[in-house]
Amino acid sequence: MVSAPLVADKAKGSAPVEIAVRDVAVNFGPRLRALSGVNLTIRACEFVALIGASGCGKTTLLNVMAGLVPIAAGSVNVCKTPPRAGRRDICYILARDALLPWRSVLGNVEYGLEVSGLAREERRQRALAYLDRVGLQDYRDFYPSRLSQGMRQRTSLARAFAVARSVYLMDEPFSALDSQTKLILHNQLLDLWESSGATVVFVTHDIGEAITLADRVVVLSRLGTGITDEIEIDLARPRSAEALQADPRYHDLYRRTWTSLRESMK
Amino acid sequence: MSDAITSETGLDAASRTASGHSLAILLARALFLVAFLALWQLAVAFGYADPAFVSSPEGVARALLALAGTGDLYANLITTLIEIVLSFLLSVTLGIASALILDRSDWLNRILSPFLTAFNSMPRIALGPLFILWFGIGIASKVVLATSIGYFIMLLSTLGGLKNVDRDLLLMSRLFGASELRLFRDIRLPWALPGIFAGLRLTLIYCSAGAVIGEMIAAQSGLGVLVEAFSGRFDVASVMALMLVIAFVVMTLTALMDLAERHLLRWSKGSTNVPG
Repeated sequence: MVSAPLVADKAKGSAPVEIAVRDVAVNFGPRLRALSGVNLTIRACEFVALIGASGCGKTTLLNVMAGLVPIAAGSVNVCKTPPRAGRRDICYILARDALLPWRSVLGNVEYGLEVSGLAREERRQRALAYLDRVGLQDYRDFYPSRLSQGMRQRTSLARAFAVARSVYLMDEPFSALDSQTKLILHNQLLDLWESSGATVVFVTHDIGEAITLADRVVVLSRLGTGITDEIEIDLARPRSAEALQADPRYHDLYRRTWTSLRESMK
Repeated sequence: MSDAITSETGLDAASRTASGHSLAILLARALFLVAFLALWQLAVAFGYADPAFVSSPEGVARALLALAGTGDLYANLITTLIEIVLSFLLSVTLGIASALILDRSDWLNRILSPFLTAFNSMPRIALGPLFILWFGIGIASKVVLATSIGYFIMLLSTLGGLKNVDRDLLLMSRLFGASELRLFRDIRLPWALPGIFAGLRLTLIYCSAGAVIGEMIAAQSGLGVLVEAFSGRFDVASVMALMLVIAFVVMTLTALMDLAERHLLRWSKGSTNVPG
């Protein structure tokens, strides 16, 4: 297991800015304005959750940070340079697991490392270590079609964190899972992230998920006009997704976020 | 994690019943063959069918032995085999290569597709005499005839396989930083493989037909020459014996391909938990 200091309790205010979104506008075609005047600053090692009404442009904003969507105005910098798809310091996790059906679980985890140019022996060792961390060591030779949805998404997490990039962009990776499986995946993601020291932007429509995982929940306006509210999640780390369910402060934050989300829909 | 364990036991049970069936299936096949041959033989023996038209199992067996005995068969078989293998290899390489180019270049695809469709719509067998005029009565004209059919089968099935590649897989690879070459090797090609294998099987069958029919039009040697000669003499038993030889050759080559397919596509075989 990789031992790294927990980043959560440190003063995040002093950490360098990792992602800077300034007055960004995005148009879909000549008429449709998806985003306008969006500002967002994310510091290194911060875990930020983006929530908002369906169609508010949260996935679009994530895609802007990934360099997948061109911007019409403003500026975006990730690690001081404008993002570009395929950059070697950004990792994007899709809503669907996108596992290669013709590769075993181990082969899939190795794929990201292979693309990153690691030598055969090293990538095998790394892939095995990360499979171990998501509890899939016994399934290394299985093809994805024989795995449950939760196991597939765990394989996808292992593939993503094995490449150890500095920024992780996640687009509702757990939306297809049932609530029990979600809790397991939350714990695994927290474990992987806390030892990675990476910056995470996590798009979700699940308030509980946002509070469980993030340092800060950002609420986007329904009209794509930027941030209507930010909620600091000052729950101590390391967190346990199950234990939080019984924590009154978790429920306070849930109510606070829920109210804020409802306001944003007006 | 228990979800996968239960589904695994389900899979084992499914494969057990499958292997349990296979012996019964083999027996049923043998029974079917014996019944067919017996019916044929008896129909001829009791005068319900004229052996001059339909021969008999016994007659075909004699003809096969006679063919094998003279040594005439082997030289002709070699010629036909060379034609089949050459036209098959040409069809496969040219077909896959053209499909890759047409898949990557939309404008080229749009320019060429009506011409390809037009040529593919022609009955190539009817062009056989022209191919012989252009390429002589040797092996070349048969290889061209067989390739002119097989090429399109390979082209269309590979194109079909390359279509609808999962966008998420391509996006995931690109976002990890994969090059175009890697996208081709690790995503597009494996994605197209089931389609390519379906095409390979058909291509082999049509290349064999093209080669034999080409030989029947005009040739110096080949199984088609023998078929033509025996047909001319109304030697039904020998024609049928030759058909068996050709079927055996094609089935052997297909079995080799199945072996490769089982290895390359093992990820898609019996991989789901739901039987059927």
